[in-house]
Amino acid sequence: MTTNLSEELKSALCDRILVLDGAMGTTIRGYELSESDARGERFKNNHEDLLNNGDILSITQPKVIGDIHKRFYEAGSDICETNTFSGTVLAQSEFFVEDPRKTGGTKDPEFFEKKVLNNPKLQDLVHELNIKSVKLAKEQADRVSQEDGRKRYVAGAIGPLTVSLTNVVDPNDTSFRPVTFDQVKQTYRHQIDALLEEDCDILMVETIFDSLNAKAALVAIKESKTKAPVIISAAVGRGGETMISAQKVEALWNTFAHIDPLAVGLNCSLGPDLMEPFLRDLGKAATTHISCYPNAGLPNPLAPTGFDLEPKDMHDYIAAFADAGLLNLAGGCCGNTPEHIAAIAKSVQGKAPRVVPSLATA
Amino acid sequence: MFPVPRFLRLSGTEAYNHTSDKNFLMIGERTNVAGSPRFRKLIKEDKLEEALEVARQQVENGANVIDICFDDGLIDGKFMMAKFLDLIQAEPDIQAVPIMVDSSKWEIIEEGLKHLQGKGIVNSISLKEGEAAFITNARHILNYGAAVVVMAFDEQGQAATYEDKCRICKRAYDILVNEVGFPPQDIIFDPNILTVATGIEEHNNYALDFFNATRWIKDNLPFAKVSGGVSNISFSFRGNNAVREAMHSAFLYHATQAGMDMGIVNAGMLEVYDKIPKHLLTAVEDVLLNKDDGATERLLDLAEEFKGQGAKKLVEDLSWREQPVEKRLEHSLLRGIDKFIDDDTEEALAKYKKPLSVIEGPLMDGMGIVGDLFGAGKMFLPQVVKSARVMKKSVAWLEPLMEAEREEKIVTQTSFLRSENSALSESEARAIATKSFSNGKVIMATVKGDVHDIGKNIVGVVLVCNGFDVVDMGVMVSCDKILDAVEEHNADIIGLSGLITPSLDEMITVAKEAEKRGFGKRNIPILIGGATTSAAHTAIKIAGHYTGPLVHVLDASRSVPVTTALLSEDRQKFIDTNEENHHRAREKFNGGKKKVALSIEQARANKVTIDWEHYNPPIPEFTGTRTIKSQSLRELANYIDWTPFFHTWELRGVWNPETETLKTRNKEGGKVAKELYSEAKELLEKIIIEKRFIASGVYGFFPAKADGDDIYLPDQKVTLHTLRQQNKKSGKPNYALSDYVSPECDHLGGFVVGIHGADEWAAELREQNDIDEALMVQALADRFAEAFAELLHHRARIAWGIERPGQFSQSELIHEKYQGIRPAPGYPSQPDHTEKRILFNLLQAKEKTAVELTESCAMHPGSAVCGLYFSHPDSHYFMIDNLQEDQIKDYSARKELSIEEVEKWLGPWLGY
Repeated sequence: MTTNLSEELKSALCDRILVLDGAMGTTIRGYELSESDARGERFKNNHEDLLNNGDILSITQPKVIGDIHKRFYEAGSDICETNTFSGTVLAQSEFFVEDPRKTGGTKDPEFFEKKVLNNPKLQDLVHELNIKSVKLAKEQADRVSQEDGRKRYVAGAIGPLTVSLTNVVDPNDTSFRPVTFDQVKQTYRHQIDALLEEDCDILMVETIFDSLNAKAALVAIKESKTKAPVIISAAVGRGGETMISAQKVEALWNTFAHIDPLAVGLNCSLGPDLMEPFLRDLGKAATTHISCYPNAGLPNPLAPTGFDLEPKDMHDYIAAFADAGLLNLAGGCCGNTPEHIAAIAKSVQGKAPRVVPSLATA
Repeated sequence: MFPVPRFLRLSGTEAYNHTSDKNFLMIGERTNVAGSPRFRKLIKEDKLEEALEVARQQVENGANVIDICFDDGLIDGKFMMAKFLDLIQAEPDIQAVPIMVDSSKWEIIEEGLKHLQGKGIVNSISLKEGEAAFITNARHILNYGAAVVVMAFDEQGQAATYEDKCRICKRAYDILVNEVGFPPQDIIFDPNILTVATGIEEHNNYALDFFNATRWIKDNLPFAKVSGGVSNISFSFRGNNAVREAMHSAFLYHATQAGMDMGIVNAGMLEVYDKIPKHLLTAVEDVLLNKDDGATERLLDLAEEFKGQGAKKLVEDLSWREQPVEKRLEHSLLRGIDKFIDDDTEEALAKYKKPLSVIEGPLMDGMGIVGDLFGAGKMFLPQVVKSARVMKKSVAWLEPLMEAEREEKIVTQTSFLRSENSALSESEARAIATKSFSNGKVIMATVKGDVHDIGKNIVGVVLVCNGFDVVDMGVMVSCDKILDAVEEHNADIIGLSGLITPSLDEMITVAKEAEKRGFGKRNIPILIGGATTSAAHTAIKIAGHYTGPLVHVLDASRSVPVTTALLSEDRQKFIDTNEENHHRAREKFNGGKKKVALSIEQARANKVTIDWEHYNPPIPEFTGTRTIKSQSLRELANYIDWTPFFHTWELRGVWNPETETLKTRNKEGGKVAKELYSEAKELLEKIIIEKRFIASGVYGFFPAKADGDDIYLPDQKVTLHTLRQQNKKSGKPNYALSDYVSPECDHLGGFVVGIHGADEWAAELREQNDIDEALMVQALADRFAEAFAELLHHRARIAWGIERPGQFSQSELIHEKYQGIRPAPGYPSQPDHTEKRILFNLLQAKEKTAVELTESCAMHPGSAVCGLYFSHPDSHYFMIDNLQEDQIKDYSARKELSIEEVEKWLGPWLGY
């Protein structure tokens, strides 16, 4: 059945440009939740603040998260991402396990092994969080699909983590890393299993700023033997490099082509204008669909959404990308509200998707 | 659309595509402990930096891929593979290329794959252990995403003959493509390059067998590649590099003709095919192609001739070394080269004399360029970190000298401290002195609510490299914890990081709390950084809450110049520029948001309309001036508004004189305020009783009439000038102070008051190290001056007939319920300080009150107030800004000052 899903999506992608959703974080902030809203009854005594732990809201404020999915689907999203960007034991530990550096300690593989990765309470919580998040998205996908007869999909969001496998943290020992590949793989596998348990349609390894982190996630996906389609999306800087590990987009495609992903693309970090040249580079190299969900411009803390571009601006940029034949999937990252997504959906309506080049057989 | 060719695609941070225009992929072999005795020695001796240098040289010499192998009985291969690949991740020029993970042990190969961000090549797997293991390993490799070298080896052993090579490769290919699903373009066969000219007859055809097998593979196994370890071919000529080089080149020439795609080659051991002496080439080719039985013999004979030759050295391009030392340092920083840094640092020191001048001069300039390139997307984070590490080496070289300088200063300061204060022990004095000359200490944290760590870590690394002590508090750190740490560590700089929008508010909170703790007054800089922060937001929303330096740092590459500038001797210049930038940002924000300027004519047309015909201006009971040589301090005390007094101690809130409490949200603050107040009252009594202050003042009235935007005093023939608001406004007039004076006949008042005695007293107290008392004396003097201005204004209003004595309570007076205003030059309603000069002349203030104006129009003594009196009931304070060029031109003509002079005084209020 999942194989069919892959074919079904591929066939949809032949017909039209599919629409992704917008920013979870930005949209959550629109609800002006308080710290106690975020904690709910369950986490009222949590040591750390939880307001900025967007993922926990799938448990404490399911209505808000459901409403956001609903708004995005109604705005025209074919695919919404689950509220699980930080839905790993490792990322969630930042909110539940005290940073050892506050008391003069270090974050190292031993810390993660002892205090984080094998913490059963954290494992259960993260499992629950992923299960509930998929449910919330599916519920809305099914409801909105039924209303207008167009099928909606749920993509399990797999974010980049708060640690990097390539970045140097100790100038006196540049080979030191706070975590190991196996630990990162383990934490991703735990999330992936939960997302798949609830039958999420697509796995989305996104906002990749470190290709080695992403590799651990993708090895975990491979090892899970799932047939679920995979989307890979990188966050690149102004030179077109993954922000932390500095891998160029074509190099990134070379690294992950063996996954045979449903799509590869770029998201976050840049607005559409600065993203364009790298989207073109990727499109030239990749023999799969191209996805694109940029930020609504660069961060501007003085703008109401924190980003500069209005729905109309996103409409114009994405329309131009579609006209240039660059796109198969389009949406928005930070700063993109349901209004932005409605504008993006409109901008790609009726436009021909990019033709995916095939690999030579001889 | 045309299909995309199935190239072998590899990657480090850059892509390597083995496209059809590339005829040979060079695999560097020097980082293989089995092939390079030097590399093995470096690894065994743990000289990893030099080992990295070997890797770098290969990339510089044109290796497309580098082979890394630690297969040696005395090396922990798995550990070293992980460590070395992690080290390479910190080397931007090495990690650009794909890596070949080379081992005969699967666990080492898999470890290698876990440390490659790009797509590398596994070297190698084979059917030696049977199909099952072969398939399992291939599947693992496919999971990680790497190309694979398959040795022509099976359960029976190594394939030496043409037939065996073809048979085994075909078998492996079929399994990989059909059973494992391995992409055929990612399969690289190594059909074994075996040594020829060994004297053993069976070996004579080895080269030819390789060429033929290569041809067969390329013809029969679609997309598969062929590789091999080239130096094996010439093993029997060890020690004779000229012959070996010729053999390698000739071998490669024929192998590539046959279709060999890549090979493990020492780029330094390759002669150009066309440059091989003719007779040598013939002899070599006869051996390789197994022309006849005497071929080996002939080559051995000829080899004698070439002994001791060859092994040409690859020449590094060192032309950049010809440049001046500053340029060389810059080059090293930009390219991350640390090879010459010690020499260049030494040379720079000879030129710049002081270590600090080297750091703040050429090194910082270099880092500035790194910052520019990073900002422009032309350098990436790992390169910035690498540059910082080169910087670190330079700083480390300078460190002993700086340490010596520091020691000298500490010794001098210690004995100075002890001569000042004999109660100090040697060690106490030394501790104090040491603190004041220590390296800068930076407390860094990601603020509460935010878990983003990596960017902050990079800043930390860069700062450590620059010689700062960094205390990284981690993520989700509460305001209190950060500020406590600042106190505990006696930190010099606070670094706040955050990536998400809500962190911006938390940063504001930290700035406010830091101010409350007095860090602002102690001038402890706060750095603001992170993806959603911006220079504009920092200026507009955060800086206003902190009186110390508060600087937005764009990215890690900028953290070094900023911190260095903040702790340098002429930090004030940097701080001033920063302030100026903040000011401009605020102006731009305010202006950009709402302000459209009118021409001065349009603004004047929208002046305040007062029906002067039906208005009788009040007439004061006297004109001219009255002087108060020494005002009763007791009487002044009643006029003191205590609320601003507490601001000196960062206690916000409103003072209630009835209950004598500070209304504040901060409970602790309320308590502190009460204590302060009782101390202040005590001192106040002392001041009054002992007459420690002398309050002198002068005030007066003059017939006046408005003349456009000026106010003319006909009796004195003096003109006072005012400025008019120029923003386009909806519904409200464009105010100027002159609007409140009748154009026909009216009066204008003026005053100057000053408190003498306070400055000298405070200076004395400071000399006795009683800073708190000094602060208190000055704060009280300020309050007295303000109170005096209030009291005089009160009298003036009564004298002017616009207020009856006792009409308002003391508190109503404080809240300015009365009619009329007393705007001061240099304040919002008339920001031009130079009007004070006219006022002082008019009142003969200097003669009458001994309050003087400095060149910059500041008043001396410091606790002094001056201003004009306006009586009109509509008159009120307003704010001038966004002044346009047309008004400034007109104003400078009216004042008979040059435009430049006026622009200098009114800089911050200019809107053009």
